[in-house]
Amino acid sequence: MIHADAISAEPKVLSIALAGNPNAGKSTLFNALTGARQHVGNWPGKTIEKKTGEMRRDGRLIAITDLPGAYSLSAYSLEEIVARDFLLHERPDVVVVVADATNLERNLYLVVQLLELELPTVVVLNMMDVAAEQGLQIDVDALSLALGAPVVTAVARREQGIEAIADAACRASTAPFSARRLDYGPAIESAINHVQVAADGNPAVLAGYASRWLAVRLLEGDDDLASRIATMPGGRSLLALAEERRAAVADALGEDVDLVMADRRYSWIHALTERVLQADSLAQVSPSDRIDRIFTHRRLGIPIFMLAMWFVFKITTDLSAPWVDWIDGVLSGPLSRWALAGIASLGLSNTWVASLVVDGVIAGVGGVLAFIPVLLSLYLALAVLEDSGYMARGAFVMDRLMSRIGLRGRSFLPLMVGFGCSVPAIYATRTLTNERDRILTALLVPFMSCGARLPVYVLFAAIFFPRFSSVVIMGLYLLGIFIAIVVGLMLRRSLLPSTAPAAGLVMELPPYRLPTVRSIRYQMWLRTRAFLQHAASLILFTSMLIWLLTAIPAGRGGAFGDVPMGDSVFGRLSSILTPALRPLGFGSWESGGALISGLVAKEVVVSTMAQTYATTGPVGDGGATSFAADMREIIASFGRAVVDTFRAVPGLVGINLNGGGDETSPDLAGAIRASFAASSGGHAAAAGLAFMVFVLLYTPCMATIAAERHELGARWTWLSLGGQLIIAWVAAFLVFRLGVLVGGG
Amino acid sequence: MLREVLQAVEAAEGPITLNELSSKLELDPRVLDGMLEHWSRRGKLVVDGARKTACAGNVTPARCSCGSATDKANCPFLIRLPKSYSISSDSDIPITAKEA
Repeated sequence: MIHADAISAEPKVLSIALAGNPNAGKSTLFNALTGARQHVGNWPGKTIEKKTGEMRRDGRLIAITDLPGAYSLSAYSLEEIVARDFLLHERPDVVVVVADATNLERNLYLVVQLLELELPTVVVLNMMDVAAEQGLQIDVDALSLALGAPVVTAVARREQGIEAIADAACRASTAPFSARRLDYGPAIESAINHVQVAADGNPAVLAGYASRWLAVRLLEGDDDLASRIATMPGGRSLLALAEERRAAVADALGEDVDLVMADRRYSWIHALTERVLQADSLAQVSPSDRIDRIFTHRRLGIPIFMLAMWFVFKITTDLSAPWVDWIDGVLSGPLSRWALAGIASLGLSNTWVASLVVDGVIAGVGGVLAFIPVLLSLYLALAVLEDSGYMARGAFVMDRLMSRIGLRGRSFLPLMVGFGCSVPAIYATRTLTNERDRILTALLVPFMSCGARLPVYVLFAAIFFPRFSSVVIMGLYLLGIFIAIVVGLMLRRSLLPSTAPAAGLVMELPPYRLPTVRSIRYQMWLRTRAFLQHAASLILFTSMLIWLLTAIPAGRGGAFGDVPMGDSVFGRLSSILTPALRPLGFGSWESGGALISGLVAKEVVVSTMAQTYATTGPVGDGGATSFAADMREIIASFGRAVVDTFRAVPGLVGINLNGGGDETSPDLAGAIRASFAASSGGHAAAAGLAFMVFVLLYTPCMATIAAERHELGARWTWLSLGGQLIIAWVAAFLVFRLGVLVGGG
Repeated sequence: MLREVLQAVEAAEGPITLNELSSKLELDPRVLDGMLEHWSRRGKLVVDGARKTACAGNVTPARCSCGSATDKANCPFLIRLPKSYSISSDSDIPITAKEA
């Protein structure tokens, strides 16, 4: 490939511009025409790539310029401006416009606009092979006759039709211009005529433009062109005339002139396409369309989406369980032993340093890190759904649900983001221009269960509902949506009544496709990395702070690092909440402390519980073991995790080979179960479920509060905070009482 | 045709797929997409596309996620959503917190 500056100095006999819609095969045709004789650079002052090339035809040198892909010449995008400027100012000898034969009607819009430029034009119908496969038949002669321009068929990627295109271009360069003029109707044609006559009378203004095209564009209100004309001698009077005619026609038609003109083009093209294109209607229904008839069905769509999400949570809980066990075993066993050995080698064993490392950092951060397999499984399942195109369908059916509470279509975007993290979701509400919709959406975002809550659900579901983990977790997500709908309806009828009806939303669903390993791996890594960064910063800091608070005695008794946790500063502070939590079944200082620290980030609920419920023995099962024995145990338990994972696969379809998993440390699970049983009068499962509901519904984290404060102001933030706490308390109370009634022990 | 398209979007009760709308209007979905694009250029429709939405509006990178994303493009919690068109709201009435 040669640089643009090295363009041949040989005189050009014929210049051709290649125009067309994006993805019409223009560049493929350019490559086929020019071969290796290409020059690549940038358009002057633009970042858009400019490709020029050369070919020879019957001894003539032909210079070809590949214009940026554009859907129209309306000077809206940079690509359109570049393409239009080249055609207007460089005036190539021939324009070869490449149209995708499988998408004729849309491509013809640009063709019609190009013909209005009154430059010799050849229309190339590319991808004729694909069109034939799709059962499309185009009457090329009738199309050519209607357009008044030669039409050539091609399959550029197979280099079919290249000779014919070159021949047609050479012929068109010498043939008189014969393109049919689109009739815009009497009123507009009269206005065009007025402006055209005025422009013809002033060659300085024309500056090489075709006078009819100039009149058409000025009547359409082309600001870019108008600003150029205004600088020319006599330009302002021409613009004034065009504006006057434009206003008069708009008055007469009762519609904006540009709209009528665009509509006229669409109508003419539609009628022409119906005449020249025959489609096998059966072939037109793609497999994606057929699948969507079921997946986006008004009644079936939501149940199918629920089923998909249940499967996601089933994968998340069942396949990750052996790995949670493995990581937990490594962290609480060998890793803690190695850490203690290292500390002992420094002469610091049995000091607060050992406690900080084991009870603070390893128990706290490790307690959260053990859930990485859960998150990886979730990210895997979500990436597959996203890449396959199904997530877009899920978003679509969920939006239908949300629209029932009067939320505008665009509100669902932030709400969907809220399932990942509430903070970007609240900032995403900025895209909503309606103030009431924006506030309402931001207030509902925290009810969408963010990813940080998942470790809490997984931990508690495994402890209290080991056989129904996935059902419980999915139920929590659904409860969040249900509460959002109820709160949304209440706010719509009170503080935030709608100022406009919920407007329609049109969603372009991508075709289904097989997910790629590379893309899924990338998405999983991106999200896992974010989680690890979180664990290494905020969760680590909070774990150390909580360790510090649990090491400081609240009263005079005890010494630093040697005080029962309940009598520590943390224990005493946490017990302030106990009376409020008692009716919910989890009125203990450990639960209160976990909920308070959960305001930092929801994962911290898990790390705090791992710290506060830590059994006092130094490490795991105690007992000195050698490094080699530890390594053997790590490898052996890894092997068991692999086997258990494979054994869990049949469980996805209801065949249980693992006998029910418990992906938590037996010590931690036992301690939590005993604590909840004690605080709930023996109804531990009901209390555990109520705790999960409370975690789902109370304030997500401080970053969310800051985002709300930033976006909504102090009053709405206080309202949101108070509302969430009240709703969380009431919902947890109802769940606990109902659980007690049905015998949730 | 263009006016019909806009009216159909306005009249739609809740969300509708491009294919559903194209069947209703008996138009090729890709042509319909061009017409919707036309209305978005005129400011009557708003186009939302994929990832840009969640971090829109001069949000600093640190706020893009829970403080863990280093740049907007890599915000890990965003969900890739399809292109969608919705009616531009020109009936916005500013509301102040005092009304709460």
